[in-house]
Amino acid sequence: MGQRNRQSLEQSDLYKHGHFSLVISLALALLFLFNSYQVSSQSWSIGFVSLTIIYTIISIYQIMLIYLLRNDLLRNGEIQRRTRILGSVQLLSLLVGNVFTVTFAFRLLKTESSINYTFAYYLFITDFLVIGVTLLNLFKPYVSNHFILLMGILIALLLIDIIVIIFLIKYDQQLNQFKKSMKWLAVFLLITSLTGNIFRIILGYSLWLQNSKQDQASIDKWYFFWVKLNKSFTAMIGLLFITFTLSISITSHGTFVTSFATANNYGDLLMEPSLVHPFGTDNFGRDVFSRIIFGARISLLIGLLTTLIPLVVGGILGALAGYYNHAIDQTIMRFLDILYAIPGILLAIAIIAAFGSSTVNLVIALSIGSIPTYARTMRANILMVANLDYIEAAKALGESDWVILIKHAIPNAFAPMIVRATLTIGSAVIATGSLSFLGLGVEPHVPEWGNVLRIGSSYLETEPYLAIFPGLAIILLVLAFNFFGDGLRDALDPKVN
Amino acid sequence: MATLNQPNKLSKGYTIIYQHHLLRWLQWVVGAPVHLIVLFLFFNKRKGTNYNDLLKKKINELKHSKLAEQLFIDYGNQYDRKQKYFNQSIEINKKNQFVSKQVERQLNKLAQQELASHKLKPIKYIDYFQSLLENNLFLTLSFIPGFILYSLCFIYQNAFVRYIFERMVMTIFVIFSVIVVVFTILYISPSDAAANILGESATMEQRLAFNKQYGLDQPYFVQLWNALKGFLTFDLGHSFTGNEVIMTSISNRFPVTLTLAVSSLILAVIIAVPIGMISAAKVNSFWDYSFMFFALIGLSIPSFWQGLIFILVFSIRGNLLPATYSPNNILSLIMPIAVLGTGLAAAIARMTRSSMLEVMHEDYMITAKAKGLSNKETFIRHGLRNAWIPILTVIGLQFGAMLGGAAVTEKVFNISGLGSYIVDKQFIPDIPAILAGVVYIAITISVVNLVVDLLYALLNPRIRAHLKNN
Repeated sequence: MGQRNRQSLEQSDLYKHGHFSLVISLALALLFLFNSYQVSSQSWSIGFVSLTIIYTIISIYQIMLIYLLRNDLLRNGEIQRRTRILGSVQLLSLLVGNVFTVTFAFRLLKTESSINYTFAYYLFITDFLVIGVTLLNLFKPYVSNHFILLMGILIALLLIDIIVIIFLIKYDQQLNQFKKSMKWLAVFLLITSLTGNIFRIILGYSLWLQNSKQDQASIDKWYFFWVKLNKSFTAMIGLLFITFTLSISITSHGTFVTSFATANNYGDLLMEPSLVHPFGTDNFGRDVFSRIIFGARISLLIGLLTTLIPLVVGGILGALAGYYNHAIDQTIMRFLDILYAIPGILLAIAIIAAFGSSTVNLVIALSIGSIPTYARTMRANILMVANLDYIEAAKALGESDWVILIKHAIPNAFAPMIVRATLTIGSAVIATGSLSFLGLGVEPHVPEWGNVLRIGSSYLETEPYLAIFPGLAIILLVLAFNFFGDGLRDALDPKVN
Repeated sequence: MATLNQPNKLSKGYTIIYQHHLLRWLQWVVGAPVHLIVLFLFFNKRKGTNYNDLLKKKINELKHSKLAEQLFIDYGNQYDRKQKYFNQSIEINKKNQFVSKQVERQLNKLAQQELASHKLKPIKYIDYFQSLLENNLFLTLSFIPGFILYSLCFIYQNAFVRYIFERMVMTIFVIFSVIVVVFTILYISPSDAAANILGESATMEQRLAFNKQYGLDQPYFVQLWNALKGFLTFDLGHSFTGNEVIMTSISNRFPVTLTLAVSSLILAVIIAVPIGMISAAKVNSFWDYSFMFFALIGLSIPSFWQGLIFILVFSIRGNLLPATYSPNNILSLIMPIAVLGTGLAAAIARMTRSSMLEVMHEDYMITAKAKGLSNKETFIRHGLRNAWIPILTVIGLQFGAMLGGAAVTEKVFNISGLGSYIVDKQFIPDIPAILAGVVYIAITISVVNLVVDLLYALLNPRIRAHLKNN
């Protein structure tokens, strides 16, 4: 018995998740402690000190939870009710934005882990974070016209999220009894996903799938994929941050005041971070916090475009090269070899030197540079797939080459392309930032993260936060994409399947 | 004539070349003088034989035999059955066409077989040429006109030499194409260089004089030819502004960039490979998770931001290292090297870990353990030796990305390297300088990739075996 319990402890994802959250919380506490004492002014920063204290408390509480969890698992092989109830206190750490411990606490709350429940709490956390960040606008001199209306909608959605979570905790196993209402819930979630919350789409689709007359195999495939992705908590946290960024860049259209980010305000030049200007103001008096929020939109858009364009172009070229005869293959691949020999940044610099720096040219320049990698990936996959039996069967049935390529070869060779795309969105975001930082990217007045950082870099000595915060935004987004891409790769890996 | 059973190297190489359709055309072209002579000899020799007449006679003989009638019936039946199976109507015209074609072919084959059984064979040009290749006297006599063809044959008879040769040809092709591509991109630029450099107030004559001075009034192909010639002779003329000789500027700055890149590479390898190995050895442990977490952060951190943070922490706050680069101060190189090496180290560490993990599940690792080797011995002697191939690939690929990315790091630390030169020049935009900078970096990358590929072929037994089998 004891042996089996020990084994179940070692294999428990929840237990690992707890440890991971603890390590991150402690690391963050240390980071805040490091920042609390200003050497130059020999003073303590109240904000950082309180953050350090709160995160330390969270970490200590987390240690206690892990200890209880361990004891439960070792002694009884299952988690006791008392541990679950104590764990729910940890949900409060959401108030200071510790998503690591919150996801752990949510996971601890429910006896039978279910994927729908997971989506539900992730979508709740996203909504909560979006509302929390947007509420910082209240400290500004004025808010946008639709602020109250939109906040009302967002808070209403948040309340519905809570109801959905409670419902899923109670009735997750008997969802079949609520077929009709589940479909309505799915439709509601899909409509409200207009806020940019991807988890709404996922949960909505998931509920719809469960209550539709779909083939059981495809339903299982969908769940199996998410269960595997959910095993890697870093991937889910990555997806959470991506969703948060997307959501805030969509909702900020109505809830943030554009002029704070773009209009010069000579009364507030180079202000220190405060509640009115959480990240300070730059040399034109523009609010850096608003600029970073507005910059998310541009960075995400450029990142997605410079991934999608080469994905499509490179994918088509690679598929043609891999599927058709030797001559076509050689012509396409040798031409791409030429592009491959020029580093992406330098090719972009050359193109921008020729055609001038603008957002469109930047997107084109970065896209062209990454076509060869996508083409190579696609070609390798098509070559692998092209000799499989089902392609032979399709040929024997007399299907035309085009139909085989589009209906059979490409869909089966596409998974590695998705993984590559996710992993390269991050580098696309970095490349965009780098070029803007050099002054070659997006037009200088546009609040793009690279541009914001560029201004900050000239005040490094006196106002370092101007450079630190936009950099943190870039690194967090890129990290999120990389974590998500890593998890996706493991989940889609045919070897594991 | 040498013995037929053992073809010499040239003849063997020629067989390989002849099988490849592109090379077959190439050998006709480069060997044209030799082929002309041999063709003359060949026709002379064939005059003496009457193989074609014999063959025609034989076919006629067969046509009137019973065998031909039988074939006509067989092929007719075959056509009928096929049409019936596919539910198609039988067309007499098409049927006759099909049957006579098939019968003709079959008879031709039979006639050749019969003649072959009497030791009669057609003399083919290629066989004749190959027999000449084995003739030392012929080789000596035709050495000068056939030199290129013979070298080609010699290269292709050895798979290894052939691989190196093809890889080099590929590199040269890529380098030339890079020049053409970058030149074309800069050529089709809609902006007018003369107006940019001289300013809006310049008169038409001044602009024309400027265009004439830099050859911008010439047609596209002339300019392209001049650019290619410039790269080959290392004479790229003067830049648009400052009247500096481009080659001097580049040769002054290139060593700086290269030192930076190579030092970062060495540093990255020294740090990352052991980290990757530890992670693989203690997979799913705390160390593994932390190392890989840091590696992912290293991949995600933009180098300009990392550079700024380093300057902030180590120069402004800590006052330990100089914030900007100065050629005489080695300390000023530490931060740029660390920044440039971070992404590379992260990529190498991740690759080392994953390829070690892949290798560890191979059968030979179990065998090594079964033989009684210690964990450490299996790990280093059997694991690492097999895992380094993907690691080397990543190093080769990342080195290219690093040379490109060096531009950003150089700007942050104010290093006068090639990358920051290109960036500075692009604001003007100074077309010849940008072209030169981009192309020379691309050439370096191509050469590095060539070296990596050749190292593979030299050091990797699997690739060597693969080459030999082909």
